[in-house]
Amino acid sequence: MNNTWFLYMFFVAVLLFTGIYCLLAMRNLIKLFIGIGVIGKAVSLALIATGLAKNNVLAAQSLVITYIVVEVSLVAVALALIINIYRKTKSLDVRKLAKLKG
Amino acid sequence: MVLQILLLFGLVFFSVLAILIKDLLKAAISLAFASLLLGIIFFRMNSPYAGVFEISVVAGLITVLFMLTIALTKGGDAVESKTASFAFPAFFVIFIIIDALVMKKLLQKVPALPGPEVGGTIGQVLWKARTLDLVCQIAIIFAGVFAVLALFRKGGNKDE
Repeated sequence: MNNTWFLYMFFVAVLLFTGIYCLLAMRNLIKLFIGIGVIGKAVSLALIATGLAKNNVLAAQSLVITYIVVEVSLVAVALALIINIYRKTKSLDVRKLAKLKG
Repeated sequence: MVLQILLLFGLVFFSVLAILIKDLLKAAISLAFASLLLGIIFFRMNSPYAGVFEISVVAGLITVLFMLTIALTKGGDAVESKTASFAFPAFFVIFIIIDALVMKKLLQKVPALPGPEVGGTIGQVLWKARTLDLVCQIAIIFAGVFAVLALFRKGGNKDE
């Protein structure tokens, strides 16, 4: 692996840290999904950088395209769930979700 | 390479901004900017198809979905703890220092597996080598459509 790959991996790690910090520290459900989006960007960047370093960028591209399609489905379902949660509880706070009973 | 590094710094900057900004609408727009920069990075890494998908789908469609949700829920009433926002820069700097010192040595210990050389065009790779992925994508899209339909069906909820 060449030095460029290590540079890309450095930025991938920084993006992953940012996303995971958001998932751990934030309380708003929409903010949590923004964190998941940031982690997704790190994963796609890692895939393309590794494909480029191993001279196999076509396979990496097809994996990234698959990932993006899956991400769209994930975000659509998750945001529909968030809207339903808001209608039920009038809140987007994850701490209040933990207190729900019955 | 200098431009590529600047783009990567921009990607990290807008991602951090998306997490730290309190206004959710501005956060969604920063995430779209980050996607745009990632798409340009993909273009410069000889991956035009991934770049097109990243810009059109992630920067376009997902941002619209986020904005729609923020408009429908009015942003919610969740108050972020101030410690989380204030502690982030300290953790971030510590992580960057650890990353710069340790990551390269850690990654060099991971053995590089030999991968098969895939030739041809993106169409051949996507439709012939990765057909199973495409079938699974279709299944996931249908699952997503049915899940959204089930979540928004009318008259199904008797509690309200």
